[in-house]
Amino acid sequence: MPRNSQGYIRPRLWLEVFLWLNVAGLVPDIYLAHSMNQFRRPQEYLPLYFSLAAPPLLLIGLAGWLLWGRVMLWRVLGELVGWAAILVGVLGLIFHLESRFFQELTLASLVYSAPFAAPLAYTALGLMLIMNRRVDPDSEEWPRWVLLFALGGFVGNFVFSLADHASNGFFHATEWIPVISSGLAVGFLLVPFLMTVRRGYLAICAAVMLLQGAVGVLGFYHHFSASWHGPANSLFGNLVSGAPVLAPLLFADVMLLALLGLWVLWQHVPAEMGEQSERAITAPSMH
Amino acid sequence: MSFRPVFLAVLIGTALVVGGYLVNAYRPRSVTDQPSAALVRASGKCAECHRNLQYSVVHEYEMSVHAKKDVNCLECHQPAAEQQGKEHHGFVISAKLTAGNCRSCHETVYQQFLRSRHAAPAWASVMGDKDFTTEQVAFSEQFQPGGCKRPPHPLTQLEGAAATTSGCVTCHSVGRPNVDGTIGTCSACHTRHTASVAVARLPSTCGQCHLGPDHSQLEIYTESKHGVLFAAQQRLLDLNVEPKKLTTREMFVPTCATCHMSGINGMNVTHDPGERLSYYLFAEVTDKRPNFARGQAAMKDACRNCHTTPLIDRVYHDAESVVSSTIDKVKELKEVIDGLRKDGLLNKPFDRPIDFAYFDLWHYYGRTAKHGAFMGGADYVQWHGNYPLLKHGVEIKSMAEEMRRSHAKK
Repeated sequence: MPRNSQGYIRPRLWLEVFLWLNVAGLVPDIYLAHSMNQFRRPQEYLPLYFSLAAPPLLLIGLAGWLLWGRVMLWRVLGELVGWAAILVGVLGLIFHLESRFFQELTLASLVYSAPFAAPLAYTALGLMLIMNRRVDPDSEEWPRWVLLFALGGFVGNFVFSLADHASNGFFHATEWIPVISSGLAVGFLLVPFLMTVRRGYLAICAAVMLLQGAVGVLGFYHHFSASWHGPANSLFGNLVSGAPVLAPLLFADVMLLALLGLWVLWQHVPAEMGEQSERAITAPSMH
Repeated sequence: MSFRPVFLAVLIGTALVVGGYLVNAYRPRSVTDQPSAALVRASGKCAECHRNLQYSVVHEYEMSVHAKKDVNCLECHQPAAEQQGKEHHGFVISAKLTAGNCRSCHETVYQQFLRSRHAAPAWASVMGDKDFTTEQVAFSEQFQPGGCKRPPHPLTQLEGAAATTSGCVTCHSVGRPNVDGTIGTCSACHTRHTASVAVARLPSTCGQCHLGPDHSQLEIYTESKHGVLFAAQQRLLDLNVEPKKLTTREMFVPTCATCHMSGINGMNVTHDPGERLSYYLFAEVTDKRPNFARGQAAMKDACRNCHTTPLIDRVYHDAESVVSSTIDKVKELKEVIDGLRKDGLLNKPFDRPIDFAYFDLWHYYGRTAKHGAFMGGADYVQWHGNYPLLKHGVEIKSMAEEMRRSHAKK
């Protein structure tokens, strides 16, 4: 049997903490991103306000669950924030569709367009908030959902690192590192949805995920270093206009999500080839 | 542990990376093979914002030859030598471009321009030589004697800074000295983001400055057969042809640039519009230019692209007659004015009505008559030229007599 969700692992809580940190972490991220555009349109404040308002609500819900035993409060507030996040993400996607790429539909315009898929990060967080409340964390389904979101995160990392660094013409060869690494992550996280895997494979997956964390930290160093030596008069100016300093940390961020999913999934997977085949993870198994 | 899932994972990952690499490799080399990452980014990043902020600027650029040749925004906007760069959303740029930026690719053109009256003499004719370095003045004086080493025009003092800035300077800034040590701005004729040879070939481009009573070239051209044909057949011409490849097949009707600057039918392209001129027609008393014979021969070569030699010689003969008679008329009145100055009846410039009458005489009507004669503008030779020359001459003589009578009474 997998460890009970009320045990020391408490995957649901860990995921909740992860989601809270991500929603709160979007405050500086969205502030820097839309500062590039000098918040020219009022709607650009929408995700910022959401990111400011959501963490306290989630915190109240979490306190309700952990301190006062009010699970319903946690559930309702989480669903509320979750649906709002989905809305913010979809609206963001629509607003970003005004970018040049959708006028020209050329490769060049795709490279330099506003990242139209980026707002979907809100949607993903919203979906995860809802999933964490509706899916039993002791079930096999729960870690598979987590892994699916992690897979989506690495698909995003692959696309954005490819597009962002293409805008630089991959001037430094090191700019290929996140592309290669996230491509590998996508490959490894996709396989459990395509075929039967066992613990040995999950262990390799975990190692690949740790590699993503290292790539994220390395990317953060390079991006921050570029901003530190940038041409603007202030560091903030360079952070706004220079290489997106928080973007590489998404590798480490999604790594944590993937590791959580792998950890819980581990409980559902037989260790060896010889074990009961019915307990091996086969795709598709979501309900 | 089964090898199959690992193999599949690596295969998918590799396929993604190879796919990404191939998509990136599909991009034009001119975009990706740049000496700096900023120059790669500039191939699209600038337009992403400026398309929303100043659509026209991006659109004009996209229509330009620069865009067709993959010259991106930063290649022109990067600080040239001696220019102070400023940070602009992650780029270091020069917002105010000068000839210093253009010369990095068009040095020969810039050198031709420097020798012309469009360069230092244009600015000096309004503001004097105080804004130029000694070297710049000396350089210009080699090619345009007296054009640069001169005081500011007295009207700048009398009309004031506001009038000078919005009036005189707007045109004469074509030869303004820049803080980077260069002179002038190419965009005066080629416009900024269009950077167009076609725009520079339009009569209306030259006519931005070469119009009005002081130098009515645009009006004269419009009256001339050249201008009439251009109005009728402009849409049949190809104004975009590369200067060195231009022939009368593309421009069978001439504009100002065709005769004065173009490389039509194999002629030498020049950015010194005075290179094919033989007289200082703009001057108070016209004189031959230092390169009189060479200039006249070059212009006659240009004429021969469409006309026979006898016709060209007749036009020159008739025009030179007008020049000669205008010189005589102006000289006669100049003696009257000089006499008044000598006798202490005129002391300061533009102080008495007769000053303006005489200035109008040579600066408006004298010039107009001479330009009209060379450019085929009969009405400008007569009714905008010689008739007012005659009228003002009579009035000036009358005013002078009156001044002398008044002076004698005192």
